[in-house]
Amino acid sequence: MEICNSYSSSSVDSTKHSASESSVNLSLSLTFPSTSPQRATKQDWPPIKPRLRDTLKVRRRLLQRDYDTCLFVKVYMEGVPIGRKLDLSTFSGYESLLENLSHMFNTSIICGNHRDRKHHVLTYQDTDGDWMMVGDIPWEMFLETVRRLKITKPERC
Amino acid sequence: MNRALCSRAYLLCFSKSKSLPFEWMDRAIKLQLSTSEMNYFPDEVIEHIFDFIASHRDRNSISLVSKSWHKIERYSRHQVFIGNCYAISPERLIRRFPCLRSLTLKGKPHFADFNLVPHEWGGFLHPWIDALSKARVGLEELRLKRMVVSDESLELLSRSFVSFKSLVLVSCDGFTTNGLASIAANCRNLRELDLQENEIDDHRGQWLNCFPDSCTTLVSLNFACLEGEINLSALERLVARSPNLKSLKVNRAVPLDALTRLMSCAPQLVDLGVGCYENEPEAESFDSLMAAIKKCTLLRSLSGFSEVAPVCLTAFYPICENLTSLNLSYAAEIQGNHLIEFVQFCKRLQLLWILDSIGDKGLEVVASSCKELQELRVFPSDPHDEEDNNTAVTEVGLVAISAGCPKLHSILYFCKQMTNAALITVAKNCPNFIRFRLCILEPTKPDHITSQSLDEGFGAIVQFCKGLRRLSVSGLLTDKVFLYIGMYAEQLEMLSIAFAGDTDKGMLYVLNGCKKLRKLEIRDSPFGNAALLADVGKYETMRSLWMSSCEVTLGGCKRLARNAPWLNVEIINENENGRMERNEEDEREKVDKLYLYRTVVGTRKDAPPCVTIL
Repeated sequence: MEICNSYSSSSVDSTKHSASESSVNLSLSLTFPSTSPQRATKQDWPPIKPRLRDTLKVRRRLLQRDYDTCLFVKVYMEGVPIGRKLDLSTFSGYESLLENLSHMFNTSIICGNHRDRKHHVLTYQDTDGDWMMVGDIPWEMFLETVRRLKITKPERC
Repeated sequence: MNRALCSRAYLLCFSKSKSLPFEWMDRAIKLQLSTSEMNYFPDEVIEHIFDFIASHRDRNSISLVSKSWHKIERYSRHQVFIGNCYAISPERLIRRFPCLRSLTLKGKPHFADFNLVPHEWGGFLHPWIDALSKARVGLEELRLKRMVVSDESLELLSRSFVSFKSLVLVSCDGFTTNGLASIAANCRNLRELDLQENEIDDHRGQWLNCFPDSCTTLVSLNFACLEGEINLSALERLVARSPNLKSLKVNRAVPLDALTRLMSCAPQLVDLGVGCYENEPEAESFDSLMAAIKKCTLLRSLSGFSEVAPVCLTAFYPICENLTSLNLSYAAEIQGNHLIEFVQFCKRLQLLWILDSIGDKGLEVVASSCKELQELRVFPSDPHDEEDNNTAVTEVGLVAISAGCPKLHSILYFCKQMTNAALITVAKNCPNFIRFRLCILEPTKPDHITSQSLDEGFGAIVQFCKGLRRLSVSGLLTDKVFLYIGMYAEQLEMLSIAFAGDTDKGMLYVLNGCKKLRKLEIRDSPFGNAALLADVGKYETMRSLWMSSCEVTLGGCKRLARNAPWLNVEIINENENGRMERNEEDEREKVDKLYLYRTVVGTRKDAPPCVTIL
């Protein structure tokens, strides 16, 4: 039996009966529906049916996701006072990040695993404030915890 | 008038039957037969003649001619339409029309579609099914709109009517897929199960499995509004054993390859609703789909496409020239350019529902390609103006359509701006409009070029479109537009008003002028007691009146209820039950929502606490 697998992880907005019915008394609203924050919970304008409203909400959420995922972090090379800024969301994983950084700083940069004296090592500061080696955790998780990057001299690690 | 009707019926009847004497035919054709003469015909003949008169209104007129005609008409009436389920009781319906086979019932008022009516307001199906079942009515078709339907009702329905053939539910709620399972399992002769825009609790059960193997009579199956997964192989088997299947609308849980298989075993399909395919399909899947589509040479109507990768629309190119109906109003993922590319080849299109992402440019393409277009609906893709795009539609698109499509008679148009000049042009281009609904997203927005109100624009619409039956107005409007409406809109039956008008005069112009008005719905407009109470008798000629966030007070409503006992005057107050009690004595308190309707059965007993019937 083939059930569409993509459905189970679908981001369909199932809260059709969105906010509870106990919302603002309409006759008190001071401005018009689309601009009034009080009316935000009361979805009665413009006059479109629930199913269309939900379809458009899903679309908006997907669009929003695109806007929200730009992730600029500061990158410093040890010994160089001026840093760079980089949008991590444009990379698909560690490899493309390293390639790009190597190019940007004109030196060979690697992740922690393959250390040797010649290459710089990429480290990052996480949400706890700790400095960690880049490459240990899955990329998606990395994106969530990274706050800034530092390219260190090889001996340091 | 009745004579003319009967003569028409005679002619129809006689043209089909050669068994009646020539002499009668001759006199009938010469319109020489009078009602009393007609009464010399045996009842069966008269009944046979009435068979040719299908329209409800005509039949209502016939039944008023004489007692005997009333009686004959009663027993021969098979289709009954009830626009407001609280206007009459099931028992009285059955008493009058015992041979009822097809029933249409409408429940909640129209504004319930936009969250203005509490969920528990009413419109319950159960008393109707209960009564029909007890009276052993031979029900075959049931069409419901905005009713509350329960699984119990569906179960009772499925067991009570042996010849039941067709169930159409539009914007209903209160039931689950278990109810559908009963219908599938028990209705042996089911031809049509059409679920449109309902809120159904999907238990992801096996309701499709409940169609017995012996069920081969399906002509129409629409479950597009179901959210959950379905048993795909059960669906495929069902379609494979339904040679008469003409209309199939699946839900989002039917993936591309399944759709391909379905179409392959149903190349006779006329009407198809497509599911959801987020990801771009593999080349092979796409080719198979396209091959299956090519075989569906009878396909005329296409819909669905919610969350669909744009490329999937292109699979339908082979048959797009045959399409007469296209509904892409849920295709939020397909951008304007793809829509335009597709629509330009749909030369035979009569009905088009689309999102405003098609843009003015797209509408210009429609205007030059779709010369058979009769009905257009353009929905807003950005209803709350949150995006910065400029591709929504404006007055330019509307004018283009009006100029390019000579057969256009119905339009629903959401846009961000409008001008009087454009509306006047549209009115002159399309004097044949029956339905004209314009919704400018920002309430009270004026003509964006002259900054004036849009009174003149809408005035032109009602003046030139002499057959206009339905109108929705928006934008900045004063009492003047209602003066025009009252003056010119002689055929107007339904009027929707939002954020418009200045004084009671506005509403009075409409009530006094529009003789054929049946439904009036008003929100957020400054009309009050004076307008409400001026002509109480008017409401007897109308189905209903809705007023929300207006200036009518509790005192005014009470006075109305006292003067018109044949009306149900309902006050709906959602802000918790205590409010009505606290302010019971304060007649100057403004009423949140007022809904009144004529009825022959008095106050209903099933109103929830938030509804007070005066």
